[in-house]
Amino acid sequence: MRAARLAGSGATATLAATATLAATVALAATLCGCALENPSIRRLPDQTPAADNAAAIQRADERAAAQAKQAAQSANVPADAVTPLTPADAPSMYSYDPWARLNRSIYRFNARFDEAIFLPVADTYDRLPSPLRHGVRNFFLNLSEPDSALNYLLQWRPVSGLRSVGRFVVNTTLGIGGLFDVATHLQLANPLTGFSVTLARWGMHPGPYLVIPLLGPSTLRDGVGQLADYGVAYGINLADLYRGDQSWALGTLNAVNQRASNDFRYYSSGSPFEYETIRFLYVHRELIEDAALHAKSPPRVRDPRQPAGE
Amino acid sequence: MTAPTATPTLTSTSTPTSTSTPVTVAATGPATGLADSAALRATVYGTPPRDIAPLPARVPLEQIDIALPWARPVPAVFWFDRRLRVWFSPQDKPAPLAIVISGTGSGGNTADLGLLRAALYGAGYHVLTLPSPTFPGFIVAASSTGVAGDLLQDSRDLYAAIRQILAHLPHRVRITDIDILGYSLGGANAAVVKSIAATDGALRIHRAVMINPPVSLFASIDRIDQLFAQSIGSGDEGIERLYAKLYARLANVYRTPEQIAIGDSEVLAAATTVLRTDQEFEAAIALNFRIALINVFFAGDLYAGTGVVVDPQHPPRVGDSLEEITRALRSRPFAEYFSRVFAPYYLAHRPGATLQSLRADNRLDIIGAQLAGNPDYYAQTNSDDLILSAPELAWLQSTLGSRLAVYHHGGHLGNLGDRQQIADMLEMLAGHWDRAP
Repeated sequence: MRAARLAGSGATATLAATATLAATVALAATLCGCALENPSIRRLPDQTPAADNAAAIQRADERAAAQAKQAAQSANVPADAVTPLTPADAPSMYSYDPWARLNRSIYRFNARFDEAIFLPVADTYDRLPSPLRHGVRNFFLNLSEPDSALNYLLQWRPVSGLRSVGRFVVNTTLGIGGLFDVATHLQLANPLTGFSVTLARWGMHPGPYLVIPLLGPSTLRDGVGQLADYGVAYGINLADLYRGDQSWALGTLNAVNQRASNDFRYYSSGSPFEYETIRFLYVHRELIEDAALHAKSPPRVRDPRQPAGE
Repeated sequence: MTAPTATPTLTSTSTPTSTSTPVTVAATGPATGLADSAALRATVYGTPPRDIAPLPARVPLEQIDIALPWARPVPAVFWFDRRLRVWFSPQDKPAPLAIVISGTGSGGNTADLGLLRAALYGAGYHVLTLPSPTFPGFIVAASSTGVAGDLLQDSRDLYAAIRQILAHLPHRVRITDIDILGYSLGGANAAVVKSIAATDGALRIHRAVMINPPVSLFASIDRIDQLFAQSIGSGDEGIERLYAKLYARLANVYRTPEQIAIGDSEVLAAATTVLRTDQEFEAAIALNFRIALINVFFAGDLYAGTGVVVDPQHPPRVGDSLEEITRALRSRPFAEYFSRVFAPYYLAHRPGATLQSLRADNRLDIIGAQLAGNPDYYAQTNSDDLILSAPELAWLQSTLGSRLAVYHHGGHLGNLGDRQQIADMLEMLAGHWDRAP
């Protein structure tokens, strides 16, 4: 009996080992860019052009309203208005990338991982019913509210911090554990914030460009911020979600949820210069956001690398 | 080149069976200089969402990656472009197939292609969208030369790729007829592919519709290079000046209290909202084209071994920085690609070719007889399209006659997807379109 069980477990182990080996070979082949079939045909989530155009109309209307408001405000500029930037204030076109070789390797790895694993899974996930996906998305966004509240306080924006707390309480209770965003329907909308914004508000420079495995383009400041955000979530460990047995499953679900809601596709440009282009766009978007942050709320801590008085 | 006439004869060669809204035909080219203000703005902004034609709620989409047997060895830096990537939207019943080819330097799943795909799928077509032969992914995976920009050679490669793709479509897809269309350079490619298919006989392509096509590829590119020179300048300093100006302006917009954070994919879209003068719009258009040219130039230099920016003995390896090459290429106009990469390659590989013949071979005149005599070729363009001169527009009018729709306004592709353009395009594909007298 014992021998039979051992033999059975041996067969199971062999089967598992073979399956693992096959999966590893398939994964390695795909990650190496080897084609397993020719042609390969992959079903993508259905396109929704009518709804996309309706959303574009709404965005255009909102943009027009914002521009009209801006024009009205600029007609009555207050005396303490922020001094506009001039072209002379623009930072260098060239991004600070001392870890370029490593970053390029990680970018390449991310592209292959995306193609082989992340996107196929995200595309499958995207075919789930929309209310289910929205529920998952709301659930994870709600989990970020405590971290957001803490960071609003660190940014000395207590009102926004209180709104985050309010959103968390409302969505966790009335929104059934965060599955429904009831708070927004109750006019309690509030954008999420995190440590990277806090560090920016404190005057920290974005630092070198950084490509993070699986997560993609970032800067040192954003990377540290993301790590700190995770640290807070892990420390609070709501409902034991971050340390319990199910933490891996939930982490994977969140990763897939985030990938499915991001349209970026590695090398869709087909260009060998994509790394440089993405770096330029990422870094300069961040610099523009920094300029905006500092105009609205002057930094309290200066970048130690900047000369005093600048 | 057929001598263009200022007042073309507009003879109907197709039977009007539809009541499509008449389209006003303008006989002149761009109103002022290379293009007028409205044309420049339309080219940058595209069709306003409110003017977009009705689109279906859902469109299925499949991504097809195919390795082509004639592909050349893949250079290390292009490791991600080994297989040609195209997109297919199948109907679940027998239907005609519309093949759509992208514009200069663009892939097979652009926003413009998305619009055309949706409109065509909604009208009952299977839709196959392909990158331009000047897209790096096509140059690497499907070009037989690696040196893009030759209208006939690129279209031959396209035709061969289309045949391979169709041969590998799932058996469940039942195709009743095949039409082809394309926008910008893709429009010219589409027409030439149809003519190649007619000669070859292996694939029957019924109708072709060109949307905002060039008449002379090189003349159109010269016009855009001219735009670059007059709006940005000839050196790298001009690009840096433009960058600094747009950066400051964009940052100032986001420094106002009403603005929110910029989304991941919105930087370029946001940048277009701070353009003000005609010169800045010209710069945006010229820069967009120059970015496409950088890829074509780099790939061509690499494949042809001409050594302009890539050392043929030591080509860049995976992971090498391409910073210096980008910097070197962005201030180089198409004229330099032509003289230092394209012409040396084709003069060496095409017996009897001369610089003049290479230029002449890149005009739609090469299929002028078919365009004039075959009622299954159609085109749509704008009287203010900045890639066309007045004589070129007149040539299109005299060659295609009533099978050409000329809209008053839209610049280059600035009315793609609008109700009238889509309605006319569908009528053309159905063989019903005719300009009301």
